[in-house]
Amino acid sequence: MKRWLRFVVTPVALAAAAAAVVVWAQHGADGAELAVLRTGRLWVRTREHVALSAVSTLLAVAAAVPAGVAATRPRLRRLAPPLLFVANVGQSVPTIAVLALAFSVTGIGFRTAVIGLWAYSLLPVLRNTVAGLAGVDPAVTEAARGMGMSPGQVLRRVELPLAWPVMAAGVRTAAVVNVGTAALATFVGAGGLGALITVGLDNQRDRILYTGAALTALLALGVDWAVAALAEATGRGTR
Amino acid sequence: MIRYEEATKRYGAGPPALDRLSLEVPAGETCVLVGPSGGGKTTALKLVNRLVEPTSGRVLIEGRDVASTDPVTLRRGIGYVIQQVGLFPHLDVAANVATVPRLLGWDRRRIDARVDELLDLVGLEPATYRRRRPEELSGGQRQRVGVARALAADPPVLLMDEPFGAVDPVTRARLQDEFIALQRRLRRTVLLVTHDIDEALRLGDRLAVLAAGGRLEQYGTPAEVLARPATPFVADFVGAGRTLRRLDLLSAADALAPAGSAPAAGGDGPAVAAGATLADVMTALLTTEGPSVRVVDADAVLGVVTIDSIRAALRRGTGPQPDAAVDGEAGVT
Repeated sequence: MKRWLRFVVTPVALAAAAAAVVVWAQHGADGAELAVLRTGRLWVRTREHVALSAVSTLLAVAAAVPAGVAATRPRLRRLAPPLLFVANVGQSVPTIAVLALAFSVTGIGFRTAVIGLWAYSLLPVLRNTVAGLAGVDPAVTEAARGMGMSPGQVLRRVELPLAWPVMAAGVRTAAVVNVGTAALATFVGAGGLGALITVGLDNQRDRILYTGAALTALLALGVDWAVAALAEATGRGTR
Repeated sequence: MIRYEEATKRYGAGPPALDRLSLEVPAGETCVLVGPSGGGKTTALKLVNRLVEPTSGRVLIEGRDVASTDPVTLRRGIGYVIQQVGLFPHLDVAANVATVPRLLGWDRRRIDARVDELLDLVGLEPATYRRRRPEELSGGQRQRVGVARALAADPPVLLMDEPFGAVDPVTRARLQDEFIALQRRLRRTVLLVTHDIDEALRLGDRLAVLAAGGRLEQYGTPAEVLARPATPFVADFVGAGRTLRRLDLLSAADALAPAGSAPAAGGDGPAVAAGATLADVMTALLTTEGPSVRVVDADAVLGVVTIDSIRAALRRGTGPQPDAAVDGEAGVT
């Protein structure tokens, strides 16, 4: 009952808060401000932002989960330190610098922003995949092997389900961080809610600045909720 | 039947973990691999299901080299119980027990029926325990589920690595009793690893005593090992209490005073059953005034036992054999 309530209350509250922000933004806005803060414009910016975060996070999962699985196989264990090193570099270098580097290769636009965000979010997914798989009780995997599961069956039926909560926490971190960092995408011309913030700053329009910041924050909370809900739903179904 | 032929395992340089082990476990018997840590017991066990591959030598099941069978197929035909139990924590009891049948592709109805049958067998009410998670079970219950899981596909061979190591002494004794009763019914070929000599003596039809460096010091029945330790190491390992332990393995009928001797004629004192252990007889002797106790079978008096006749029985030897089919292939007989 409590869980069910939390599942419904959070998105409703976030949606209400977002609606309140939009109403506040448009109420008493002058013509120049309204050009940026029209519901249609806000909607476009939000969609850009969601697309940037979602695509980069999914690509990070697609790269880091197989890498993490590989790094925990007995034969490939030597791969783990260099992989984690690369991922650490990806996260240590400031995103804005990664974006600048990517910009010099792929130019302006969506693709460049996605590359920067992707590099930034590899680490949490990779680190948690490795930690989750390494945390599976060796007695359990040995029992699985001794029972006659093939290496693939041990991975699919035992290791991944048991590592999943930790892995999901990594995905959640990556997704939330990406929503925040995607505000920088505007510097490589990829739009997103960050565009509102820069426009607001450049033109000393606090109304626009605050709207962009508030919507970014609400989006991050919403994504946090969504990934957690997804992780829980998939985790419970593991058999 | 499991047969080791000169099986050796080395990890890198240095002394081998297991050194040219040769022995044969007859079908339907329980062989206990016992010894201190570093004796290669677990290594020997894992050679059978190929979790470890031998450096040289081989292991045969029913005359067939295990190396000739694909490991995954091989393992599905061998029950495996490990010390930490290794139940899958994300699966309920029924799904744990059903692991091997599922791998073998049994249909759902057959699996369900088998799970219930096995839970009954190990003394867990299916209706109560099917849906429980491992974390909701006590140590002893987990161990029972582990045994049920190992037996699921009805394997003729069962490997047990310290199966009762992770539970308290009371539960441990009860699980040992249950194991003995179960094995009496099922008659599987069991290879069991323990470092506990008392457990080995209780559970084993045969004992393989392994010393550090993976050397087989002695292979024989518990009575043989206690009566005639093959090496000083074995004598030391079975310990100072071995004479007292032998009293548990011999029966009153083994120690009757010779007919016609003086004590036999003067039969008096308390009565014990012919099947009573000599430990029971000693207790009776120590608590009576007289020099002897009578041994009775139903109403007939078979004879008497005295301290001297017990000494003679201990000197004589070996006590009951586990099976008629002892062909003395390995170790000391």
